Amino acid sequence: MSNELVNAIADMREEDALRIVREMVESGSDPMTILDAAREAMAVVGQRYEEGTYFLPELMLAGEMLGQITEIVKPALAKAPEVTRYGKVVIGTVQGDIHDIGKNIVTFMLDVNGFDVLDLGVDVPPQKFVEAIRDFQPQVVGLSGFLTLAFDAMKETVDAIKEAGLRDGVKIMIGGGQVTEEVKTYTGADAYGRDAMAGVSLAKQWVGAK
Amino acid sequence: MLSSRTKVIACATVIEEMLPHMPPGMQYQVLDFGLHVNPAALKQTLQETIDASAPPFETIILGYGLCSQAVVGLKANNCTLIVPRVDDCIALFLGSAEAYKVQSRSEPGTYYLTKGWIEAGDSPFEEYDSLVEQYGEEKARRLINQMLKHYTRLALINTGQYELERYREYTRRTAERFGLRYEEIPGSDVFIKKMLHGPWDGDFVIARPGETISYLDFKRTTEET
Repeated sequence: MSNELVNAIADMREEDALRIVREMVESGSDPMTILDAAREAMAVVGQRYEEGTYFLPELMLAGEMLGQITEIVKPALAKAPEVTRYGKVVIGTVQGDIHDIGKNIVTFMLDVNGFDVLDLGVDVPPQKFVEAIRDFQPQVVGLSGFLTLAFDAMKETVDAIKEAGLRDGVKIMIGGGQVTEEVKTYTGADAYGRDAMAGVSLAKQWVGAK
Repeated sequence: MLSSRTKVIACATVIEEMLPHMPPGMQYQVLDFGLHVNPAALKQTLQETIDASAPPFETIILGYGLCSQAVVGLKANNCTLIVPRVDDCIALFLGSAEAYKVQSRSEPGTYYLTKGWIEAGDSPFEEYDSLVEQYGEEKARRLINQMLKHYTRLALINTGQYELERYREYTRRTAERFGLRYEEIPGSDVFIKKMLHGPWDGDFVIARPGETISYLDFKRTTEET
Protein backbone atom coordinates (compact mmCIF):
# COMPACT_ATOMS: atom_id res chain seq x y z
CA MET A 1 0.00 0.00 0.00
CA SER A 2 2.79 2.42 0.81
CA ASN A 3 4.30 1.67 -2.62
CA GLU A 4 1.00 2.62 -4.19
CA LEU A 5 1.11 5.84 -2.21
CA VAL A 6 4.64 6.65 -3.38
CA ASN A 7 3.54 6.18 -6.99
CA ALA A 8 0.32 8.15 -6.58
CA ILE A 9 2.14 11.16 -5.16
CA ALA A 10 5.04 10.92 -7.60
CA ASP A 11 2.64 10.64 -10.55
CA MET A 12 0.56 13.61 -9.37
CA ARG A 13 -2.58 11.53 -8.76
CA GLU A 14 -3.79 13.69 -5.92
CA GLU A 15 -7.20 12.06 -5.32
CA ASP A 16 -5.66 8.57 -5.30
CA ALA A 17 -2.91 9.65 -2.93
CA LEU A 18 -5.33 11.16 -0.43
CA ARG A 19 -7.66 8.17 -0.64
CA ILE A 20 -4.78 5.76 0.05
CA VAL A 21 -3.63 7.85 3.01
CA ARG A 22 -7.14 7.85 4.50
CA GLU A 23 -7.42 4.09 4.02
CA MET A 24 -4.04 3.55 5.65
CA VAL A 25 -4.94 5.72 8.63
CA GLU A 26 -8.30 3.95 9.02
CA SER A 27 -6.69 0.51 8.89
CA GLY A 28 -4.30 1.56 11.63
CA SER A 29 -1.06 1.87 9.64
CA ASP A 30 1.86 3.46 11.44
CA PRO A 31 1.71 7.18 10.56
CA MET A 32 5.47 7.12 10.10
CA THR A 33 5.07 4.59 7.29
CA ILE A 34 2.80 7.07 5.53
CA LEU A 35 5.20 9.96 6.03
CA ASP A 36 8.11 7.80 4.91
CA ALA A 37 6.22 7.02 1.71
CA ALA A 38 5.56 10.74 1.22
CA ARG A 39 9.22 11.44 1.76
CA GLU A 40 10.22 8.79 -0.75
CA ALA A 41 7.74 10.20 -3.27
CA MET A 42 9.15 13.71 -2.79
CA ALA A 43 12.60 12.43 -3.63
CA VAL A 44 11.18 11.07 -6.92
CA VAL A 45 9.40 14.37 -7.62
CA GLY A 46 12.62 16.28 -6.91
CA GLN A 47 14.52 14.03 -9.27
CA ARG A 48 11.95 14.48 -12.05
CA TYR A 49 12.12 18.24 -11.53
CA GLU A 50 15.92 18.14 -11.82
CA GLU A 51 15.63 16.10 -15.01
CA GLY A 52 13.16 18.57 -16.48
CA THR A 53 10.22 16.14 -16.63
CA TYR A 54 8.42 18.14 -13.94
CA PHE A 55 8.08 21.88 -13.61
CA LEU A 56 6.93 24.35 -11.01
CA PRO A 57 3.24 23.34 -11.07
CA GLU A 58 4.17 19.75 -10.22
CA LEU A 59 6.34 20.92 -7.31
CA MET A 60 3.43 22.97 -6.06
CA LEU A 61 0.97 20.15 -6.47
CA ALA A 62 3.34 17.87 -4.57
CA GLY A 63 3.66 20.53 -1.86
CA GLU A 64 -0.13 20.73 -1.63
CA MET A 65 -0.42 16.96 -1.33
CA LEU A 66 2.17 16.96 1.45
CA GLY A 67 0.21 19.57 3.36
CA GLN A 68 -3.02 17.60 3.04
CA ILE A 69 -1.37 14.31 3.94
CA THR A 70 0.19 15.86 7.03
CA GLU A 71 -3.25 17.12 8.09
CA ILE A 72 -4.80 13.66 7.71
CA VAL A 73 -1.96 11.92 9.51
CA LYS A 74 -1.55 14.43 12.36
CA PRO A 75 -4.20 13.03 14.74
CA ALA A 76 -2.73 9.54 14.39
CA LEU A 77 0.77 10.90 14.80
CA ALA A 78 -0.14 12.53 18.11
CA LYS A 79 -1.15 9.13 19.46
CA ALA A 80 1.98 7.40 18.18
CA PRO A 81 4.86 6.69 20.55
CA GLU A 82 7.35 9.53 20.76
CA VAL A 83 9.52 9.66 17.64
CA THR A 84 13.17 10.50 18.04
CA ARG A 85 13.75 14.22 17.70
CA TYR A 86 17.25 15.08 16.62
CA GLY A 87 17.16 18.81 17.14
CA LYS A 88 15.60 22.14 16.28
CA VAL A 89 15.64 24.20 13.10
CA VAL A 90 14.53 27.76 12.47
CA ILE A 91 13.69 28.34 8.83
CA GLY A 92 12.32 31.16 6.71
CA THR A 93 12.39 32.97 3.38
CA VAL A 94 14.62 36.01 3.82
CA GLN A 95 13.59 39.66 3.59
CA GLY A 96 12.55 40.91 0.18
CA ASP A 97 11.62 37.47 -1.11
CA ILE A 98 8.23 35.80 -0.89
CA HIS A 99 8.84 32.46 -2.62
CA ASP A 100 8.19 29.54 -0.34
CA ILE A 101 7.33 26.45 -2.35
CA GLY A 102 10.84 25.04 -1.85
CA LYS A 103 11.06 26.20 1.75
CA ASN A 104 7.76 24.49 2.59
CA ILE A 105 9.00 21.22 1.12
CA VAL A 106 12.24 21.50 3.14
CA THR A 107 10.21 22.22 6.28
CA PHE A 108 8.11 19.12 5.69
CA MET A 109 11.15 16.96 5.01
CA LEU A 110 12.94 18.18 8.14
CA ASP A 111 9.83 17.59 10.18
CA VAL A 112 9.34 13.99 9.04
CA ASN A 113 13.05 13.35 9.44
CA GLY A 114 13.01 14.09 13.14
CA PHE A 115 13.45 17.84 13.54
CA ASP A 116 11.31 20.37 15.36
CA VAL A 117 10.97 23.14 12.83
CA LEU A 118 9.96 26.72 13.49
CA ASP A 119 8.91 28.22 10.16
CA LEU A 120 8.99 32.02 10.20
CA GLY A 121 7.27 32.36 6.82
CA VAL A 122 8.31 34.73 4.02
CA ASP A 123 9.94 38.17 3.78
CA VAL A 124 11.48 37.61 7.21
CA PRO A 125 13.63 40.52 8.45
CA PRO A 126 17.06 39.65 9.93
CA GLN A 127 15.94 40.76 13.40
CA LYS A 128 13.10 38.26 13.39
CA PHE A 129 15.59 35.43 12.77
CA VAL A 130 17.71 36.76 15.64
CA GLU A 131 14.73 36.79 18.02
CA ALA A 132 13.66 33.32 16.94
CA ILE A 133 17.16 31.97 17.59
CA ARG A 134 17.09 33.48 21.10
CA ASP A 135 13.64 32.09 21.93
CA PHE A 136 13.62 28.75 20.15
CA GLN A 137 17.32 27.92 20.55
CA PRO A 138 17.80 25.90 17.37
CA GLN A 139 21.03 24.17 16.41
CA VAL A 140 20.35 24.87 12.74
CA VAL A 141 19.09 27.92 10.83
CA GLY A 142 17.80 27.61 7.25
CA LEU A 143 17.70 30.71 5.05
CA SER A 144 15.70 30.36 1.88
CA GLY A 145 15.40 32.61 -1.16
CA PHE A 146 14.60 32.16 -4.81
CA LEU A 147 15.78 35.46 -6.27
CA THR A 148 19.46 36.38 -6.46
CA LEU A 149 18.34 39.57 -4.67
CA ALA A 150 17.71 37.32 -1.68
CA PHE A 151 21.42 36.47 -1.41
CA ASP A 152 22.03 40.01 -0.13
CA ALA A 153 19.31 39.56 2.48
CA MET A 154 20.87 36.20 3.45
CA LYS A 155 24.18 37.98 4.03
CA GLU A 156 22.43 40.69 6.07
CA THR A 157 20.73 37.99 8.14
CA VAL A 158 23.98 36.12 8.84
CA ASP A 159 25.60 39.45 9.79
CA ALA A 160 22.73 40.26 12.15
CA ILE A 161 23.07 36.85 13.82
CA LYS A 162 26.79 37.53 14.20
CA GLU A 163 26.20 40.98 15.69
CA ALA A 164 23.73 39.53 18.17
CA GLY A 165 26.49 37.22 19.37
CA LEU A 166 24.56 34.11 18.33
CA ARG A 167 26.62 32.97 15.35
CA ASP A 168 28.74 30.42 17.21
CA GLY A 169 25.69 28.66 18.60
CA VAL A 170 24.11 27.81 15.25
CA LYS A 171 24.93 26.26 11.91
CA ILE A 172 23.44 28.15 8.99
CA MET A 173 22.39 26.59 5.70
CA ILE A 174 21.08 28.42 2.65
CA GLY A 175 19.00 27.12 -0.21
CA GLY A 176 16.57 27.91 -2.99
CA GLY A 177 17.24 29.17 -6.49
CA GLN A 178 20.78 29.23 -7.78
CA VAL A 179 22.84 28.88 -4.63
CA THR A 180 26.47 27.94 -5.15
CA GLU A 181 29.73 27.70 -3.21
CA GLU A 182 30.41 31.34 -4.15
CA VAL A 183 27.05 32.44 -2.76
CA LYS A 184 27.76 30.50 0.43
CA THR A 185 31.06 32.36 0.81
CA TYR A 186 29.42 35.71 0.08
CA THR A 187 26.61 35.23 2.61
CA GLY A 188 28.82 33.79 5.34
CA ALA A 189 26.63 30.69 5.73
CA ASP A 190 28.13 27.32 6.70
CA ALA A 191 26.74 25.32 3.79
CA TYR A 192 24.23 25.31 0.97
CA GLY A 193 21.81 22.69 -0.26
CA ARG A 194 20.55 22.21 -3.80
CA ASP A 195 17.45 20.28 -2.79
CA ALA A 196 15.32 19.37 0.21
CA MET A 197 17.18 16.14 0.97
CA ALA A 198 20.50 18.00 1.00
CA GLY A 199 19.03 20.26 3.68
CA VAL A 200 18.02 17.24 5.75
CA SER A 201 21.48 15.67 5.39
CA LEU A 202 23.19 18.88 6.49
CA ALA A 203 20.95 19.30 9.52
CA LYS A 204 21.44 15.67 10.53
CA GLN A 205 25.17 15.91 10.12
CA TRP A 206 25.30 19.05 12.27
CA VAL A 207 23.34 17.62 15.17
CA GLY A 208 25.24 14.33 14.98
CA ALA A 209 22.26 12.23 13.90
CA LYS A 210 22.73 9.09 11.86
CA MET B 1 34.30 53.09 -28.07
CA LEU B 2 33.72 52.33 -31.71
CA SER B 3 30.16 51.25 -32.40
CA SER B 4 31.29 49.10 -35.31
CA ARG B 5 33.55 47.10 -32.99
CA THR B 6 30.85 46.68 -30.35
CA LYS B 7 28.12 44.11 -30.38
CA VAL B 8 25.06 43.80 -28.19
CA ILE B 9 23.67 40.41 -27.18
CA ALA B 10 20.41 40.98 -25.38
CA CYS B 11 17.29 39.29 -24.13
CA ALA B 12 14.16 40.03 -26.14
CA THR B 13 12.69 42.05 -23.27
CA VAL B 14 15.79 44.20 -22.85
CA ILE B 15 16.43 44.93 -26.50
CA GLU B 16 13.01 46.62 -26.66
CA GLU B 17 14.37 49.29 -24.35
CA MET B 18 17.84 49.46 -25.92
CA LEU B 19 16.88 49.92 -29.57
CA PRO B 20 15.68 53.54 -29.26
CA HIS B 21 19.10 54.53 -27.84
CA MET B 22 21.34 52.36 -29.99
CA PRO B 23 24.11 54.18 -31.85
CA PRO B 24 23.87 53.78 -35.64
CA GLY B 25 25.92 50.89 -36.97
CA MET B 26 26.03 48.94 -33.74
CA GLN B 27 25.18 45.29 -34.30
CA TYR B 28 22.94 43.35 -32.03
CA GLN B 29 21.61 39.88 -31.55
CA VAL B 30 18.42 39.02 -29.69
CA LEU B 31 17.98 35.87 -27.63
CA ASP B 32 14.71 34.23 -26.66
CA PHE B 33 13.08 35.54 -23.50
CA GLY B 34 11.93 32.05 -22.53
CA LEU B 35 15.51 31.08 -21.70
CA HIS B 36 15.36 33.00 -18.42
CA VAL B 37 13.52 30.20 -16.65
CA ASN B 38 16.33 27.78 -17.44
CA PRO B 39 19.63 29.34 -16.31
CA ALA B 40 21.71 26.42 -17.61
CA ALA B 41 20.24 26.70 -21.10
CA LEU B 42 20.59 30.48 -21.05
CA LYS B 43 24.23 30.19 -20.02
CA GLN B 44 24.96 27.76 -22.82
CA THR B 45 23.17 29.86 -25.44
CA LEU B 46 24.98 32.99 -24.27
CA GLN B 47 28.38 31.29 -24.39
CA GLU B 48 27.71 29.93 -27.89
CA THR B 49 26.58 33.33 -29.07
CA ILE B 50 29.67 34.97 -27.58
CA ASP B 51 31.92 32.34 -29.18
CA ALA B 52 30.31 32.96 -32.55
CA SER B 53 30.90 36.72 -32.23
CA ALA B 54 34.59 36.71 -33.14
CA PRO B 55 36.47 39.71 -34.60
CA PRO B 56 36.04 42.45 -35.68
CA PHE B 57 34.20 42.84 -32.38
CA GLU B 58 36.28 44.00 -29.45
CA THR B 59 33.49 44.57 -26.98
CA ILE B 60 30.31 42.67 -26.28
CA ILE B 61 27.60 44.30 -24.21
CA LEU B 62 25.28 41.76 -22.61
CA GLY B 63 21.71 43.00 -22.23
CA TYR B 64 21.30 40.86 -19.14
CA GLY B 65 21.88 40.98 -15.41
CA LEU B 66 23.01 38.20 -13.13
CA CYS B 67 19.81 36.43 -14.31
CA SER B 68 19.77 33.50 -11.86
CA GLN B 69 23.54 33.20 -12.30
CA ALA B 70 23.22 32.45 -16.01
CA VAL B 71 26.05 34.90 -16.81
CA VAL B 72 28.38 33.41 -14.19
CA GLY B 73 31.07 31.35 -15.92
CA LEU B 74 30.84 33.19 -19.24
CA LYS B 75 34.06 34.14 -20.96
CA ALA B 76 35.16 35.64 -24.27
CA ASN B 77 38.60 34.84 -25.57
CA ASN B 78 39.02 37.83 -27.87
CA CYS B 79 36.53 40.37 -26.57
CA THR B 80 35.79 42.32 -23.45
CA LEU B 81 32.42 41.50 -21.91
CA ILE B 82 30.35 44.27 -20.36
CA VAL B 83 27.48 43.21 -18.08
CA PRO B 84 25.28 45.48 -15.99
CA ARG B 85 25.93 44.82 -12.30
CA VAL B 86 22.28 44.07 -11.50
CA ASP B 87 20.28 41.03 -10.47
CA ASP B 88 17.99 41.10 -13.47
CA CYS B 89 16.36 43.32 -16.06
CA ILE B 90 13.92 44.89 -13.59
CA ALA B 91 16.83 46.96 -12.24
CA LEU B 92 17.68 48.03 -15.80
CA PHE B 93 14.11 49.19 -16.42
CA LEU B 94 13.90 50.99 -13.07
CA GLY B 95 17.21 52.74 -13.73
CA SER B 96 19.43 51.32 -10.99
CA ALA B 97 20.09 48.37 -8.72
CA GLU B 98 19.21 50.63 -5.81
CA ALA B 99 15.79 51.51 -7.23
CA TYR B 100 15.07 47.79 -7.62
CA LYS B 101 16.07 47.11 -4.04
CA VAL B 102 13.82 49.91 -2.80
CA GLN B 103 10.86 48.47 -4.75
CA SER B 104 11.60 44.94 -3.66
CA ARG B 105 11.94 45.79 0.02
CA SER B 106 8.84 47.98 0.06
CA GLU B 107 6.65 45.35 -1.59
CA PRO B 108 8.39 42.02 -2.19
CA GLY B 109 5.22 40.43 -3.56
CA THR B 110 5.42 42.34 -6.82
CA TYR B 111 5.24 40.81 -10.26
CA TYR B 112 6.77 43.24 -12.75
CA LEU B 113 5.70 43.64 -16.33
CA THR B 114 7.04 45.67 -19.23
CA LYS B 115 6.10 45.74 -22.87
CA GLY B 116 8.75 43.12 -23.61
CA TRP B 117 7.52 40.77 -20.89
CA ILE B 118 3.92 41.11 -22.02
CA GLU B 119 4.76 40.54 -25.67
CA ALA B 120 6.84 37.49 -24.81
CA GLY B 121 3.67 36.07 -23.22
CA ASP B 122 5.62 33.85 -20.89
CA SER B 123 4.33 34.41 -17.37
CA PRO B 124 2.30 32.49 -14.79
CA PHE B 125 -0.71 34.41 -16.07
CA GLU B 126 -0.25 32.99 -19.54
CA GLU B 127 0.52 29.58 -18.12
CA TYR B 128 -2.87 29.43 -16.46
CA ASP B 129 -4.68 28.27 -19.56
CA SER B 130 -2.33 25.35 -20.12
CA LEU B 131 -2.68 24.41 -16.46
CA VAL B 132 -6.45 24.28 -16.93
CA GLU B 133 -5.95 21.99 -19.89
CA GLN B 134 -3.65 19.69 -17.93
CA TYR B 135 -5.25 19.64 -14.50
CA GLY B 136 -8.79 20.95 -14.93
CA GLU B 137 -10.28 24.25 -13.84
CA GLU B 138 -10.43 23.63 -10.10
CA LYS B 139 -6.91 22.31 -9.68
CA ALA B 140 -5.44 24.92 -12.03
CA ARG B 141 -7.07 27.64 -9.93
CA ARG B 142 -5.56 26.17 -6.78
CA LEU B 143 -2.13 25.93 -8.39
CA ILE B 144 -2.13 29.48 -9.73
CA ASN B 145 -3.35 30.74 -6.37
CA GLN B 146 -0.49 28.96 -4.72
CA MET B 147 1.98 30.26 -7.29
CA LEU B 148 0.80 33.81 -6.60
CA LYS B 149 0.10 33.25 -2.91
CA HIS B 150 2.25 36.03 -1.51
CA TYR B 151 1.97 38.31 -4.52
CA THR B 152 0.00 41.48 -3.91
CA ARG B 153 0.91 43.81 -6.75
CA LEU B 154 1.17 43.65 -10.52
CA ALA B 155 3.37 46.54 -11.57
CA LEU B 156 3.70 47.88 -15.07
CA ILE B 157 7.00 49.67 -15.45
CA ASN B 158 6.56 52.76 -17.57
CA THR B 159 9.87 53.25 -19.34
CA GLY B 160 8.36 55.95 -21.54
CA GLN B 161 9.42 54.10 -24.66
CA TYR B 162 6.15 53.09 -26.16
CA GLU B 163 2.43 53.62 -26.44
CA LEU B 164 1.37 52.25 -23.09
CA GLU B 165 -2.40 52.06 -23.35
CA ARG B 166 -2.53 48.53 -24.72
CA TYR B 167 -0.15 47.21 -22.05
CA ARG B 168 -1.93 49.13 -19.31
CA GLU B 169 -5.13 47.51 -20.39
CA TYR B 170 -3.57 44.04 -20.35
CA THR B 171 -1.94 44.59 -16.95
CA ARG B 172 -5.13 45.96 -15.39
CA ARG B 173 -7.17 43.09 -16.73
CA THR B 174 -4.65 40.50 -15.56
CA ALA B 175 -4.38 42.08 -12.11
CA GLU B 176 -8.13 41.93 -11.73
CA ARG B 177 -8.36 38.36 -12.95
CA PHE B 178 -5.80 37.12 -10.44
CA GLY B 179 -6.70 39.32 -7.49
CA LEU B 180 -3.65 41.58 -7.57
CA ARG B 181 -3.39 45.34 -7.18
CA TYR B 182 -2.56 47.15 -10.40
CA GLU B 183 0.08 49.82 -10.24
CA GLU B 184 2.12 51.72 -12.76
CA ILE B 185 5.60 52.58 -11.60
CA PRO B 186 7.96 55.02 -13.30
CA GLY B 187 10.90 53.49 -15.12
CA SER B 188 14.09 55.14 -16.27
CA ASP B 189 16.34 54.88 -19.31
CA VAL B 190 19.45 56.02 -17.43
CA PHE B 191 20.97 52.55 -17.08
CA ILE B 192 20.05 51.49 -20.62
CA LYS B 193 21.75 54.59 -22.06
CA LYS B 194 24.82 54.03 -19.93
CA MET B 195 25.06 50.45 -21.19
CA LEU B 196 25.21 51.66 -24.76
CA HIS B 197 27.20 54.85 -24.40
CA GLY B 198 29.21 54.39 -21.22
CA PRO B 199 30.84 55.24 -18.95
CA TRP B 200 31.22 51.61 -17.92
CA ASP B 201 31.88 52.37 -14.30
CA GLY B 202 31.15 50.51 -11.09
CA ASP B 203 27.64 49.76 -12.35
CA PHE B 204 29.14 47.18 -14.71
CA VAL B 205 31.04 43.95 -14.49
CA ILE B 206 33.85 44.03 -17.00
CA ALA B 207 35.54 40.80 -18.05
CA ARG B 208 38.63 41.31 -20.21
CA PRO B 209 39.51 38.77 -22.92
CA GLY B 210 40.04 35.38 -21.28
CA GLU B 211 38.55 36.40 -17.94
CA THR B 212 35.62 34.43 -16.55
CA ILE B 213 32.66 36.20 -14.95
CA SER B 214 32.10 35.16 -11.34
CA TYR B 215 29.24 35.72 -8.92
CA LEU B 216 31.49 37.74 -6.64
CA ASP B 217 32.23 40.15 -9.52
CA PHE B 218 28.63 41.28 -9.09
CA LYS B 219 29.17 41.93 -5.42
CA ARG B 220 32.27 44.11 -5.57
CA THR B 221 31.33 47.71 -5.08
CA THR B 222 34.71 49.30 -5.82
CA GLU B 223 35.62 50.36 -9.31
CA GLU B 224 38.85 48.41 -9.46
CA THR B 225 38.34 47.23 -13.01
